[in-house]
Amino acid sequence: MELIRTVGLRKSFGPVQALRGVDAVIGKGEVVAVIGPSGSGKSTFLRCLNLLEVPTGGSIAFDGEIVRADPRGAHAGGALADGPAADAWRRRMGMVFQHFNLFPHMTVLGNLCLAPVKLGRLTPEAARDQAMRLLARVGLEDKAASYPAQLSGGQKQRIAIVRALAMGPEVMLFDEPTSALDPEMVGEVLDVMRDLAAEGMTMVIVTHEMRFARQAASRVLFMDQGLVAEEGSPEELFGAPRGARTREFLAKVL
Amino acid sequence: MAKYWLFYLVGAKNTLLLAFLAVLAGSLLGFLVALARLSRAPAARLAATAYVEVLRGTPLLVQLFIVYYGLQAVGVRFPDFPLADRLLGIGFSDFMAGALTLALNSAAYVAEIFRAGIQAVDRGQSEASRSLGLGRGMTMRYVVFPQALRNILPALGNEFVVVIKESSIVSTIGVAELMYKADTVRGNTFRPFEPLLVAAACYFLMTFPLSKLLARIERRMRSGTH
Repeated sequence: MELIRTVGLRKSFGPVQALRGVDAVIGKGEVVAVIGPSGSGKSTFLRCLNLLEVPTGGSIAFDGEIVRADPRGAHAGGALADGPAADAWRRRMGMVFQHFNLFPHMTVLGNLCLAPVKLGRLTPEAARDQAMRLLARVGLEDKAASYPAQLSGGQKQRIAIVRALAMGPEVMLFDEPTSALDPEMVGEVLDVMRDLAAEGMTMVIVTHEMRFARQAASRVLFMDQGLVAEEGSPEELFGAPRGARTREFLAKVL
Repeated sequence: MAKYWLFYLVGAKNTLLLAFLAVLAGSLLGFLVALARLSRAPAARLAATAYVEVLRGTPLLVQLFIVYYGLQAVGVRFPDFPLADRLLGIGFSDFMAGALTLALNSAAYVAEIFRAGIQAVDRGQSEASRSLGLGRGMTMRYVVFPQALRNILPALGNEFVVVIKESSIVSTIGVAELMYKADTVRGNTFRPFEPLLVAAACYFLMTFPLSKLLARIERRMRSGTH
C-alpha cells in the first residue's frame, strides 16, 4: 500500500535547483534508503517530505492528502511550511537529524514528553510512562533525568529516535543519522533502526552507510543532481547497477 | 553635608522606582518589538525596525524633552494623584513622563538583545520542534525562548544597570531623583563638588549589588542544565 508519493518534486534555493523533478513512491512498511553523492538533493528530498522545506514545484501525497508546491518557496529564505495543516502533517512523520537536535535545556524525559503533552495527546503521567517504555527499548532508561550534554553522541541519537517515536508517527525520516557519530557509536544507532524496521515501521533513510542500506533496506534510491537516477532492490542496485553514474558512485564508496 | 543624608535616601528611592518601572515596561515592550522584528508580516517588521533605529539613533535627552513637552503640547497629560505625589515627594505626571521615556528608550535596546538572542539559537532546535508537530508559537515558547533567555542574560543585566545610571537624566525635567537631589544639596551648601561624589557613590551602591546578583543568577542557570 502506497503511503507517500511525490510527483515532479522540485525545490530551488534562489538560482540553485536542489531537486529537479523527483518522482518517488514510499510504500507502507517499506524501508527506503536514499543514497548518492553530496549535493545530489537527498536531504532536501527528505526535508520536503515533512515540509521543513516548501517545494517549489510538483506535489507530495501522504496517505491521500496532497500538498502542492508553492513557487514562492524559493524566496522564502529557508522558511518551512506553516499553519495547522502543516503541523498536523509533521505530527504523523518522525524526523531524526544528523546533529540530533535534542533540546539542551530539558532532561531526556522532558525531551520525550514535550510534544505529546503540549499537543494534548497524552497526560503528563501517560507521557512519562510512555517515555520510560521507549527509553527501556533503547536501553537508556537510566538516562531519563540526564541532560543531553551529559550523553554520548550515540546515546543522543537513540534518544532523538525515541523522541520522534513518542508522537506515534506513521513514517520515520532519517537524515544521515550516523554521519556525526564517532565510528564506535554508529552500530548502536543502526541496531535501533534495524529493530524499528523489523517491527514494520515505514522508514526513509538518507545515509552514507552502504552496508546498512544493503542489509536493512527493502529498496534503494540513488539520487544524482536533483533526480532519482536509479532505484531498485539492494541486490539490483548494489549487485548490478545499470547507470554509469551509479557505478561510478558505488565504485568510490564501496 | 552630613545632615543632607535624607535627601540622598529619598533621591535613591525615586531613582530605584524609576529604574524599576523603566526596566519592567522596557523589557515587556522590548520583547514585543523583538517578536515584531522576527514576524512574517512585513508591516510589523518595518514598524519594529523603524522604532529601534529611531530610538537608538536619537539622544535620550531629546527623547525626554519630546515626551515631556510634546505630550503636553498635544494635550496628553498623566493624571496627578495627590496621594502618589505625597508618596513620591514629586509630581506624579512628571515622574511618569520620565519613566515612560526611559522605558521607551530601553525597549529599543532590549528588543535588539532579544532578537539577537533568539536568532542565535541553532535553527536545528526549531526544526526539531516543528518536526514533532509543535506549531510556531509553542516552538518559540518551549524550545527557542528558554535557550535564548539563558544566552542573553548577561546583556539584559547590563541593560538594567544602564537604565539605573541613565535615569539621572530625568533630573533635567525636575523629577527629584538622586541626581536632582544632589544638585539641590550643591545649591544649599555652596559646595559644587562633594555632593556629586556622594551621588556617584550612591549610584555605585545600587548598580554593583545588581551586577553581582545577575552574575549569580547566570551561574545558577548555567550549572542547572549543563
